[in-house]
Amino acid sequence: MMQVNWFQILIDWVYGLIFWVYDVVNWIVGIILWVYNWVWGVIFWIWDLVFLNLDFLIKAILFPGLIFVVLALIYTVWFTRKMWGRIQMRRGPFHMGKFGGLQLFADAIKLISKEVIIPDGSRRWMYRILPSILLVIVLLPFAFIPWDATWYIADLSVSLVLVFAFLAAVPILALLIGWISGSKYSLIGGFRAANNQFAAEIPIIMSSVGPALLAGSLSLMAISGAQSSVWYVFLLPINFVTFLVSSVVAVGTFPFDAPVADSEIIFGWRTELSGVYFTLTYFAEFAEQMLYSALMVVLFFGGASGLPFLPGFVNFIIKFLIVMFFFIIVTSSFYRLRQDQITRYCWKYLLPLSMLNIILVLFGLAYIDGLAALVMGG
Amino acid sequence: MSDGEAMTLARELVNKMPDIEVVPSIDRLDIKAAPEKIRDVIRFLDEYINDLFPESCFGVDLRNNQYEMIYIFWSRNKRLLVQVRVLLEGEPPEIDTVSDIIAGLEWHERETHEMFGIKFKGHPDLRPLLLPDELVGRYPMRKSFMTDRSRLAESGLPQPKPRPPKEANE
Amino acid sequence: MSPDILDEAIEIWFGPQHVSAHGWAAKLTLIGDYIVECDPHAGYFHRSAEKVLEFRNFRQGPLVMERLCMLESFLMEYPYVSAVEQIAGLEVPERARIMRTILMEASRIHSLQFWWGQFAAELGLFTMLLWPWVDREYFLDAFEELTGSRHAVSFNTPGGVKYDFTDKFLKKLDRALLRIEERLPKFKDMLLHGPTFRLRTKNVGLFSAEQGLRWGLSGPNIKACGVPMDLRKDKPDSNLAYDLADWEVPTVHNEEHPGQSDAYDRMVQRFLEVETSINIIRQLLPQIPEGPIIDPKARAKANRLPEGEAYGRVEGTRGITSLWLKTTEKAQTAYRAKIRGPCFASYYALKHLVPGSRFADFIVIFGSLDPYPGLWDR
Repeated sequence: MMQVNWFQILIDWVYGLIFWVYDVVNWIVGIILWVYNWVWGVIFWIWDLVFLNLDFLIKAILFPGLIFVVLALIYTVWFTRKMWGRIQMRRGPFHMGKFGGLQLFADAIKLISKEVIIPDGSRRWMYRILPSILLVIVLLPFAFIPWDATWYIADLSVSLVLVFAFLAAVPILALLIGWISGSKYSLIGGFRAANNQFAAEIPIIMSSVGPALLAGSLSLMAISGAQSSVWYVFLLPINFVTFLVSSVVAVGTFPFDAPVADSEIIFGWRTELSGVYFTLTYFAEFAEQMLYSALMVVLFFGGASGLPFLPGFVNFIIKFLIVMFFFIIVTSSFYRLRQDQITRYCWKYLLPLSMLNIILVLFGLAYIDGLAALVMGG
Repeated sequence: MSDGEAMTLARELVNKMPDIEVVPSIDRLDIKAAPEKIRDVIRFLDEYINDLFPESCFGVDLRNNQYEMIYIFWSRNKRLLVQVRVLLEGEPPEIDTVSDIIAGLEWHERETHEMFGIKFKGHPDLRPLLLPDELVGRYPMRKSFMTDRSRLAESGLPQPKPRPPKEANE
Repeated sequence: MSPDILDEAIEIWFGPQHVSAHGWAAKLTLIGDYIVECDPHAGYFHRSAEKVLEFRNFRQGPLVMERLCMLESFLMEYPYVSAVEQIAGLEVPERARIMRTILMEASRIHSLQFWWGQFAAELGLFTMLLWPWVDREYFLDAFEELTGSRHAVSFNTPGGVKYDFTDKFLKKLDRALLRIEERLPKFKDMLLHGPTFRLRTKNVGLFSAEQGLRWGLSGPNIKACGVPMDLRKDKPDSNLAYDLADWEVPTVHNEEHPGQSDAYDRMVQRFLEVETSINIIRQLLPQIPEGPIIDPKARAKANRLPEGEAYGRVEGTRGITSLWLKTTEKAQTAYRAKIRGPCFASYYALKHLVPGSRFADFIVIFGSLDPYPGLWDR
């Protein structure tokens, strides 16, 4: 019979238990340490990220970025409505806040809190998602607007091209919204929106070639910097006019508002949108208008240059409001054109004029000696 | 402007269609025609007056299944108001359409059809024009149309209780 | 037209829930951008006025009539009043005769002002919607001063008029006239001389005088074709005072298409109408004599009419407005009253006018005929 040393077994078992407990504690401590290190690592990483990019973040979120742009959008709508009111012999918004300044917030809250009615014949998920994409696409190019020598978000060497690339998606979204709404009026409006862009896109890009050639760059920053001695609006007045008119066409606002002609096709591609989705497209239109105004300031009015005692972005905003006022004057004094007339007008008058201007610029750069030195590189 | 216009027109008309009653006055010509003659009369007027302006055409309920169709024309060149009356009898009253001769009367006839139940033979489009669906075929401009009770019956609401007849001794 | 083309046609309902379809609807068949068939539907505004008139006595009748078209209430009352006066054999005092004429012309001016605004809004310019409507208020103020009501005036009554002119009213009417005289050149600049207005309205909705007469168009629509068909001149009414003023029937001559009129001509015509009306009022205002404003026996005579038939007509803003009245012996109400609204014909004319035009031009053609749903539905 084998001698069993119960005592030895007990001792071994106790030792084993102790080591096991020790290992478990070690394991838990290891986990805690790992989590601790990981959390700290993340915090440090975020801290580093924020600390190193604090400048960029403030710019992207606060000042020339999202919050500023949305506020500017709201006050541009207010400015437009107030100016329309003055031109049309009425008072415009005046109830909410001083001079009706809070009216647009009230409107936005009202529109957002309205019931969303989605038609049966529509594609529901596209109906829900497309208006937001539209607004995002229109707001994105604001990242490349050089409000000032310091206050800008991003500066790419091809930002001018990139802005137009973003804007080319707008009529496609309008057409899609019209298509998926399941209404004939929306469909007609969508095709009209596509037609507008079809008419306006070539003249508008052609008109922006002139400033780019003179500045020798496709970067908006460089173009606005190159105008420190002379604004391009004095060198390229024809280009400015073609750009202004074709941008009104591209936005699809009043004289060229065939896509949303309310007396013809109710509200065009926006007919079936309701509540918050309508709000998004409504603001997207004004954001596009703002974007084109800002582009005009950059391309033709020398961006941030101007009165020397003011900060650059203040100069920019003053010029921006002046260009916006051009927009308002145009939108409140002409009758709506038919869509075939829009195409004819853009292709027969604006396109040749903008092409002529490119040729003039090329000749000028080649044969006028002082010109290149005057305009390039500022 | 002169009363000659109405007189000559009346004389021409009587020469062509002797069985028609014509009453000319200074600036007005009243014609009474039989229903089967109406197309001839209108065609005659159309040929004779070069700026015939169809003012209106409508029916009148004369009770006892008698209806009158009245056509009113105005000629600016002759300063002449022409009124053609046609007496219709029977149920449903029938008359030939003149909308293919004078297009402007198409809708007037359409309205008369739905309001009086006068049938226009050969009219291209006799869909109801003004009335809501539940009144189609009820001919509301007829004198026999009860304005209040008839609508109540259609609506499906409970009918009001008839008033108890007054007792003679009360 | 081959059947395959018709397969691609889409049917679209223009109204009744459309921004510019206020109480009417038309079914349009479109192939591409072109309308191939137009089927106007009436009845959305039907108030069975003819049946109602069979239950209203002869002093209540004008109130029913003026509610058919609130824009020209003074003119709308007149056919009924005229028919009753013819049957009852009432003579209208000289003073009332001139007062009626003045107010009918004033009513015509403010109705046309309303139409300018409406037509401009249909063409997509809201500035021009509000400008004439501001000036229209001056007339409405004057009417309110006279009758206590802006639209439902209830002024004409068998045998005379209900309210006498006061100094305050005359001052307000004078102010309204001065205002429209001062503003007419501006409206002409905005409407007739605007380049985009010409683009939209020239050669749109073209029809000849013969066609117009055939469809039953009257008033400014036919006068724009060069036919001076105007009841005020052609058939002088002894109860109205058009013979006291010196004026000519205005017409328009289209040089491109003689004997035809397009939407532009009809707008020109309506400007001439306003000038003529101002001229008539200016000439009649000093001619108002002292005297009674109503035949003293009118009330008794209009209470019960003898058996008879009468046809009361007036040249309304939109064309010949008339009422055929039949009464029986000792009648308190009409046996049959048939109202002819001029717009019945212009609405019907769409059926022939619209096919072949572009979809965007539909509302221009509709607006240029100046139809008012209350006048065709009655």
